[in-house]
Amino acid sequence: MTVYESDLPGVGKKFEVELEDGERLVIVTHNTGKREVYLKPDADADSEKIFEASDRLARKIGTILEGAYFQPVQAEQVETMLSDDTYLEWYGVAESAEIAGQSLSEANIRGRTGVSIVAIQRGEELISPPTPETVLEVGDTLVVIGDREDCAQFENLLGAGLEE
Amino acid sequence: MATETALVDVGILFTAVALAGVLSSRIDQSVIPFYIVTGVLLGSNVLGELPTLAGSEIGIGGFAVTVPEIAVGGVDLLAALGGLALGETDFIVVGAEIGIVLLLFFLGLEFNLNRLIASKDRIGKAGSIDLAINFGIGLIFGYFVFGSFLAAFLTAGIVYISSSAIITKSLIDLGWIANDESEPMLGTLVYEDLFIAVYLAIVSALVLGGGDIGDATGQIAVAIGVILALLALVTYGTGTFQRFLDAETNEFVVVRALGVTILVAGIALALGVSEAVAAFFVGMAFSATDHVHDLERLLEPLRDAFAAIFFFWIGLVTDPGLFTLPILGIIVAGVIVTTPTKIVSGYLGGRIYDLDDRRSLRVGFGMATRGEFSLIIASLVLSGAGTGIAAGTATDLYAFAVGYVLVMSILGTSLMQYSSRIEPVAVSLLERRRAGATRPPND
Repeated sequence: MTVYESDLPGVGKKFEVELEDGERLVIVTHNTGKREVYLKPDADADSEKIFEASDRLARKIGTILEGAYFQPVQAEQVETMLSDDTYLEWYGVAESAEIAGQSLSEANIRGRTGVSIVAIQRGEELISPPTPETVLEVGDTLVVIGDREDCAQFENLLGAGLEE
Repeated sequence: MATETALVDVGILFTAVALAGVLSSRIDQSVIPFYIVTGVLLGSNVLGELPTLAGSEIGIGGFAVTVPEIAVGGVDLLAALGGLALGETDFIVVGAEIGIVLLLFFLGLEFNLNRLIASKDRIGKAGSIDLAINFGIGLIFGYFVFGSFLAAFLTAGIVYISSSAIITKSLIDLGWIANDESEPMLGTLVYEDLFIAVYLAIVSALVLGGGDIGDATGQIAVAIGVILALLALVTYGTGTFQRFLDAETNEFVVVRALGVTILVAGIALALGVSEAVAAFFVGMAFSATDHVHDLERLLEPLRDAFAAIFFFWIGLVTDPGLFTLPILGIIVAGVIVTTPTKIVSGYLGGRIYDLDDRRSLRVGFGMATRGEFSLIIASLVLSGAGTGIAAGTATDLYAFAVGYVLVMSILGTSLMQYSSRIEPVAVSLLERRRAGATRPPND
């Protein structure tokens, strides 16, 4: 999984991603924020433009690709690496979760696990950042930041209440 | 001139330029030659049918010669049309000046020394080959045609500098930006841009300071002083600029950036230093702040509007009568000599980036396009007419530059567009020549 990055002076940056079958995905990020996505049948071929997207739309598409809305793979968490050992993860709160119904200060999540809850998705609404008074409800999706160990502890805290 | 007429004139200017833009996008060509031709057509020499104005009498940055309006009293349609002709008003002259300043400001803004240092080997090699071949040929050609060192030095600049604006836009339009050939092209452009900033500083001192090195020494000393001051600004001014641009609204950012840039450029010009070079350094000073993307986003439309006025002005002060047969001959010779040189140097640059024959050729085709910077040099020639350069030579050189850019901007863009048809032929020729050569063909 190699990603080639190069500068395009006066234009922006170019990223080339090797796909499984020798194809390459080329993403040109313009300084204006516009993204252009191209496909190369192979490393030496000419790029064919697939689509372009505004900055906002590109982020939306990126989030979908990231699996923030739907995870087809049951066993694995959605995870985004922010740096070497910091993850941004999404967890669902099920009925059996111990922390459901508690406020953030009551649950003392950071004290017990080390992760920070940076946002709560509740239906259409996004609570960001949540206050200590925010009460966690069943069905919430929690967006948390922490290192691998902290995230694992948080998973244990959610226990059986972890919504896959 | 009454305000209402002046306002109508500016309206005519932008309308004409807008129509030229529509036409150019219809036939998939660069807008620059269309803007120039529009300027020629609306100028006093064509539409106005006034006695010809020698372009050499008009200095940019100095006082503009306002062409007297033709009285539109008669029923005569020609006279009425003639009344639409635009003179070289203060607005157009200053607008063109701001166009030059903003073009170079952007060059500085997007110029990244760290990036240049990071890939200095490849950019340095490709850029030096480009410089040696094209600037060298330009010197020889210029000396052969115009017979003086300064004219040769100016010709070399005109034929050496490729058009960053047209090439970058074509790369994006054709989708080449996602291919490997975009890197050597953009890298070579960075090298050229840096060279042209230094070149303009030297050549403007020569042109404005009396032409020969002896007379220009004082001028060059002042120029070096100003440039050192600007370099100090770039080196130590980042923090100040950063705070200076920390404004709440876009409005403040735009106004402040324009204030600094145009003021510094104006002061530099008053001291006899190229305003374009000063603007380049101001751009560089801003490039180290976090506001680069904001500035690019906010100022780009302004730059394009004023650059359009600049190209229009170039046409406006061009008398079609300048294109005598000998001048046309020089233009044709220039095109014939300097198109292959760019293709060769671009090809070699592509090889330095380990591209195959086909892509290396594309680099050459793309680099053949000349545009805005050649015209900036041409405007410098005009302003130095009679002081640094003999008026006759200056007029000829100016006419050559305008005609040359008209041809090369269209030819270069076309070479890129039809590249896919030319490539197979050229590649097979290359391979045939290489058959039996020591170097194995790359496939």
